[in-house]
Amino acid sequence: MRRVPTQRFVLGFASLAAMVLAYTVLSNAHLFRPEVVPPTQEIAVAFTELVVGARPPPVTEGDMHAGHHGHSSAHVGTLLQQGVTLQDSLAITAARVLFGLAAGVPLGVLLGVLMGWSRRADDYLHPLYVLLRSVPPLALITYVMLWLGHGEAHRLIPIVYAVAATMVIPAYHGVRDVLVTYVVAARSLGARRWLLVRKVLLPAAGPALLAGLRYAVAIAWMTAVGAEMLMSENGMGNLIVGGGLWASRTQTKADPAVVIVGIVTLAAAGWAMDALARSATARLTRWVR
Amino acid sequence: MTAPAPRLEAVDVGYTYPGATPTQALEKIGLQVHDNEFVALLGPVGCGKTTLLRIFAGFLEPTTGSVRCDGATVDGPSPQRGYVLQEDAIFPWMTVRENVEFGLLARGIDPAARGAVGGELIELIGLSRFEDAYPKELSAGMSKMVEVARVLATDPAILLLDEPFGALDAQTRARMQDELARLWERRRKTVLFVTHDAEEALYLADRMLVLSPRPGRVKADFRVDLPRPRSLETRFSPAFSALKRRIWETLS
Amino acid sequence: MPPKKDNFFSGPGIRTRTARALLSVGALAVVYGIASEIGRGRLPDRIWLGTHYVENVQLLPPYPSLAEETTFLLESGILTSSIAVSAGRVLLGLLLGGAFGILLGIATGRATRAEYLADPWVTFFRFTPALALLPLFVLWFGYGEGSKVLLIATSVAVVTILGAHQGVRSVPRVYLDAAAALGASPGLAFRKIVLPAALPHIFASLRIGLGLAWVTIVVAELIDARMPSLGYLLTLAGAYPRVPTMVVGIATIGALVLAFDLLALWVHARATRWMRRTA
Ligand SMILES: Nc1ncnc2c1ncn2[C@@H]1O[C@H](COP(=O)(O)OP(=O)(O)O)[C@@H](O)[C@H]1O
Ligand SMILES: [Mg+2]
Repeated sequence: MRRVPTQRFVLGFASLAAMVLAYTVLSNAHLFRPEVVPPTQEIAVAFTELVVGARPPPVTEGDMHAGHHGHSSAHVGTLLQQGVTLQDSLAITAARVLFGLAAGVPLGVLLGVLMGWSRRADDYLHPLYVLLRSVPPLALITYVMLWLGHGEAHRLIPIVYAVAATMVIPAYHGVRDVLVTYVVAARSLGARRWLLVRKVLLPAAGPALLAGLRYAVAIAWMTAVGAEMLMSENGMGNLIVGGGLWASRTQTKADPAVVIVGIVTLAAAGWAMDALARSATARLTRWVR
Repeated sequence: MTAPAPRLEAVDVGYTYPGATPTQALEKIGLQVHDNEFVALLGPVGCGKTTLLRIFAGFLEPTTGSVRCDGATVDGPSPQRGYVLQEDAIFPWMTVRENVEFGLLARGIDPAARGAVGGELIELIGLSRFEDAYPKELSAGMSKMVEVARVLATDPAILLLDEPFGALDAQTRARMQDELARLWERRRKTVLFVTHDAEEALYLADRMLVLSPRPGRVKADFRVDLPRPRSLETRFSPAFSALKRRIWETLS
Repeated sequence: MPPKKDNFFSGPGIRTRTARALLSVGALAVVYGIASEIGRGRLPDRIWLGTHYVENVQLLPPYPSLAEETTFLLESGILTSSIAVSAGRVLLGLLLGGAFGILLGIATGRATRAEYLADPWVTFFRFTPALALLPLFVLWFGYGEGSKVLLIATSVAVVTILGAHQGVRSVPRVYLDAAAALGASPGLAFRKIVLPAALPHIFASLRIGLGLAWVTIVVAELIDARMPSLGYLLTLAGAYPRVPTMVVGIATIGALVLAFDLLALWVHARATRWMRRTA
């Protein structure tokens, strides 16, 4: 019985190691240009540079393209010049994600519960919800910016909107299914409304809500990074595309090493947040049951 | 005259479910089922009836002792021993006909021959009107009969039935029992029928084994000498009542 | 017909519900119409965008100007060709990503080893916002169709792997036992039991993937805006900025997402007619 997690770990680790090794060999074999497929050690250097941040003397044109100063690309150079570091970018994006969750989850749950609780509200609101949900949040970003100006709002609103739209469905189904199956029974036992909510509705809808929350966390990261890629001077999305996309509307000249560092960081952060949500789920469902 | 080898035989079978707290479900079960005999296995819920049947069906290996079919040790499931699970196992994504013909499909029988056997069985269980319906349109009793027919389609020598009518109301259950009895009169088989209902066991079986609560052991072995075909009359005959009384006495 | 009580357990009929739906959508349309008339001349038309002012902005374009814009976009063929290009990318990406994801998900669902090997990668891609891969894909596969379609395929594959895996894993044991007892070979059991039983999960994940595909394509086209495409249309509209174009573009994308979703629902309903539906 104890052997299974070991095998899982060994095989998972082997698969990761094999891929990294294969990439290292391939990227060092001079088959591709290093600006396209950066060798593993270059990625590691880019990572350290982005974490350490400041590079002492102001960068000159010549320096920027010289390869012998570690991993120096225009992309890294620009970022460092702007004082961008990996951890700062991550913190900024995480803050946006958290804001999106903090505002979007109650909003979505409220709407979902309302629609699940009252058939009348469902009849009126569901069609509007379906129409609204169909618009990808990031398609709205320029329009929102016209209304609210070039500030923080137009980056946050798509995230809030995406999270809320995601949370409506589990809240709605949680409440509705519970109503249909348990409430008749509970009501016939003479349970009062509030008691019903606390003892029946919440415990029964809880798992669905928490599962939805985990999904919403992933959506929030996706939307936040997308919004930052489109128009932002900071955050992980900005780090990945090297900034200024919206302003210059040029095609990206991203350094793949930076992109890979960014992706791995995002994956790790997303995974960590999900692990947190998972353990919270386990804790809460235990409490709920 | 030597007695023929029993079709099914359990010798000192014990079974313990592994796990953090191992559960001993069966302890030293010994029983024999002879050719064309209808044996009912009666016992309280949780005494290990399903466990024993799954061992006979070949899904579990006994922890101790052995089970044999026609003298050979059972290793793995075989369509030779038709097994109807206690749970609803009708395939919901197949029509009644597809369900009934599944075992024939598994044997690689061609569609025409499958259709003939399937049609005949569907008619036998009285569901011709539903042959193209999905199981969601059937009542619980009808679904169970489809499961029985599905097993009969492959013409197994032995039938293992696990509380097929356990979840039905008394009225439907009586009707299904009649139906099963009728099927059995038509196509004699060796049957091991699990139930927790003494009356059901008496009505259907030639012989009846009573299991003790967990861990299950054979507590009593009754011959049910009621005339066949059985009918409503049988249920109210003095012989039936007398047997029922004896069983209740063993149980308490 | 006796009047029904208006609650969940004996709800109003389909006609009442349709009427209510039409009423609320109609109300929204009317409110927008009124708001745009009131806003005409009152809403600011000169907007500071951080670096520069933009002039002549109609924040709430009234219906006539929307109609005019739609006619123009349709007659010039911009809208139709954009729809064709964007929808084509979504479909192709869905096909590739769906096929890859479903196959891999089935493999990891069936073989524990495969699951352990794939696990770190599935986790990795699950938490990577697919959009972040765009700059990399552009470098590796060029600015053309390849990187956009691959990006969509990636985001679709990530969810369908999980859906197919879960679907295969959650096939009720009883069906597999019943099939084995009837003498089904592993191959037959896979085709006739595992696949149909896993289908609802797979479809659900495909629907999620479809939603993700549209999010991905719109943003991918916003970032790498070329050729006729809906993202390009929005980028152009944002550059002027021309709000009527923006609104028509957003509405078109919304309508396409809705249409694709309804189509997926319909296919799902057809493919799982056997399922018991709870009303
Ligand atoms: N998979 C299992 N794991 C552990 N214990 C089990 C399992 N299945 C059944 N048991 C236990 O074995 C005993 C016998 O179960 P079962 O054969 O299903 O009884 P019956 O069919 O007579 O109701 C029960 O006490 C049950 O709790
Ligand atoms: Mg049982």
